[in-house]
Amino acid sequence: MAPLRVWIAVAVGGCALIALAYLPPRGAAPRGPRFATYSPEPTAARRRAQAVAKEWRETYASLRLLEDRQHVKWDSSRVGPAIIFRGPTLPPTAVRTVEAVADSMWRALGLGETKVRAALVIALERAPGSAPGPIPDQNGVAFLTPDSTDRTTCMAFLPANHFWTAVLLGHPPRHFEPDWLARWFQSGLGPCAYYAAYGTPSRSVRSWLAARNWDVALYLGTHGIAGERFLSVNLLGDPRYSWYWDGIYSLSPSTVACLAGRLDGCRSAVLYGADDDARIAVPEIVRLEQGWWRKQHLLPGERFLGDVARDVGRDRFQSFWTSSLPVDTALAAALRQPVGEWTKQWERRFIQPIRLGAAAPLGATLLALLLAAVAVSAVALAASRRQVR
Amino acid sequence: MCRRFGLLLILGVLASPLFGQDTLISRLRIRADSLLRTWQQAVAIANLADSLERERATIGRDTIAVGALRIITNASPLPVRQAAALAWPAIDSLYGSAAADLAERPYFIRAVDPDSNARRAVLHVGLEVPWDLDLRSTTTLLLTTVPIAPPDRALATWLTGVLRPSIHPREDLGGVYLEFVTAPSQAARGCFMGDIASCIDALGLGDTNHLERWYPSAPERRAVVAGSFADFFDHGGSAQALRECVAGRDASCTALLRSLPADVLPKPLSDAARVSLVRDALRLGGQDAYRRLLRDPEAAIADRLAEAAGVSVDSLVAGWRNAALAARPAPVELPWWAIGVALGWVTVFAGCGLSSSRWRL
Repeated sequence: MAPLRVWIAVAVGGCALIALAYLPPRGAAPRGPRFATYSPEPTAARRRAQAVAKEWRETYASLRLLEDRQHVKWDSSRVGPAIIFRGPTLPPTAVRTVEAVADSMWRALGLGETKVRAALVIALERAPGSAPGPIPDQNGVAFLTPDSTDRTTCMAFLPANHFWTAVLLGHPPRHFEPDWLARWFQSGLGPCAYYAAYGTPSRSVRSWLAARNWDVALYLGTHGIAGERFLSVNLLGDPRYSWYWDGIYSLSPSTVACLAGRLDGCRSAVLYGADDDARIAVPEIVRLEQGWWRKQHLLPGERFLGDVARDVGRDRFQSFWTSSLPVDTALAAALRQPVGEWTKQWERRFIQPIRLGAAAPLGATLLALLLAAVAVSAVALAASRRQVR
Repeated sequence: MCRRFGLLLILGVLASPLFGQDTLISRLRIRADSLLRTWQQAVAIANLADSLERERATIGRDTIAVGALRIITNASPLPVRQAAALAWPAIDSLYGSAAADLAERPYFIRAVDPDSNARRAVLHVGLEVPWDLDLRSTTTLLLTTVPIAPPDRALATWLTGVLRPSIHPREDLGGVYLEFVTAPSQAARGCFMGDIASCIDALGLGDTNHLERWYPSAPERRAVVAGSFADFFDHGGSAQALRECVAGRDASCTALLRSLPADVLPKPLSDAARVSLVRDALRLGGQDAYRRLLRDPEAAIADRLAEAAGVSVDSLVAGWRNAALAARPAPVELPWWAIGVALGWVTVFAGCGLSSSRWRL
């Protein structure tokens, strides 16, 4: 009985020690500098003003696109997209330079005279207070796809931030590389590049893309698969840091499963929205908000269809693009293999499969085994040396 | 007659989408105008609400005035007055005559129960701090949240933030010394060796061609790519260039670094070094130095610093460098007796282990 009491006393004493160490009394002095944990929140009135401003920006961008579509001037001497500038007036030499860059970018995409033409509306940064209304959102890219009103024009609204406004006005920084502008135009074309290259998609494909806000057809690059440097997947950062995993687990389950190399996950991530018969708005205005990559259903989805097109070739992609079959059937037919399998292989070109679930690091496992071996050996040694008197 | 009517009908049907678009545009225009008016009203109401919130934040609160500092806070054990008395000399010596403007820009501090389970009202103005902060922490809080007007864009970009008084000036300069001797950059090493032009380059005050100035040699460029951007470049089209760079091909390293925006290139001397230089300039320039620093936002940063300090930028940088060298961190010195103590303990434990008898149960 006596040893039991000792053990109980030891356990209670241990608990008291732990409580003493970890539960400081109320009002105890903090260990280090500790500051406000709560930042001011905007008032309800301010939040409403911000919400109205957002709505106005969206309406204004739609209005600009629709108005500009009526007044696009097509220059027969050029092959590239028509360019409309909004904001400060550009010198004629700067306009010519921009048009030349846009033309060469267009040719690099393999495009020439196309049935659907594209127009880029570039909104240059204005001085604060120079125009009525809220400050324009410099990340609010928008696209107006062809519709029954105009079946041959696709419009892209591309706001130029401080950096690009300086470049377009002829004041690039010294480190500026000439191909940056072409890349910016290329990324700004979005769905319009697909319309120009492959025409209007079939109803099922269009409905699928509309349901997911065109997140798999935002970039029709010029190089081969995995041939561009910047990808949305790069924004996740380094797996050594916690924010990488915060980013991963903020994505949808199928997106995470695909990153882990699971076929079903990849299939679901690609075919998200394919089952819905989404109503296609007229006019269809696709808006990309700031941080659109955080809402992607597939990473790096922005180039998925571009890579499919390059991999399967123009004819097979064209047959998918205009197919009246359901998207999963049409895409599998174009890929000539199950969608999940192709996507899994494609994903591997950008990111190593992540490991899901709990997994002990190798070093910790070895250490645990070593400690266990030491403990067992110690007990065995003690038992062998025990003497009973 | 019938034919003419039919033709008109066909033309009407063909043109109807265009009319439809016009209607849509008109509708959108009306909506945009209406939203604009609503937004203007909403902003006016929001400004009023914010102003009322600021007024409400002062009701039943004390205003503590120390120098030009004005702190509006509720009654609590938080040592605000004592902290303000400690913070004011540091703030005054940094901003000089510009610190007088702080009388118009008060701190709003709401001291709250440190118990995280206590219910709190939503905070719309100022800072919320637990009332159990000690004097040191409260002083640090006041120094790091000085409500001074933000500097112009050019200065803020160069500084990468807002200029605040130093809490540990000696340690800050010690940090600059460590950067001198550890940064993988010839500019930083040149500065350490006494070349003022290198200091100016390392601080980003000279030529804007930073890659050549900061990392002029191939090994430096390779170290920057491999050390700071290996993961970033190890994707897609740049992966091959990264491998070539790591293998020693300088053209690939240079091309990779050139593809980065200028402000992404790692600075050989950190933002803390730049801030310490500005503090030196303000200290040298006297009471109006901060105002002179902000006077011409279009001027080059080097010229602005020289104007603020009242000396040439070379003299300013030379003085700053000497101060950094003088703040060299003291090396850790082990007293002679500590070795004996350590060996003694080792002997005691070894003796205990070796002399233990067999276990008895």
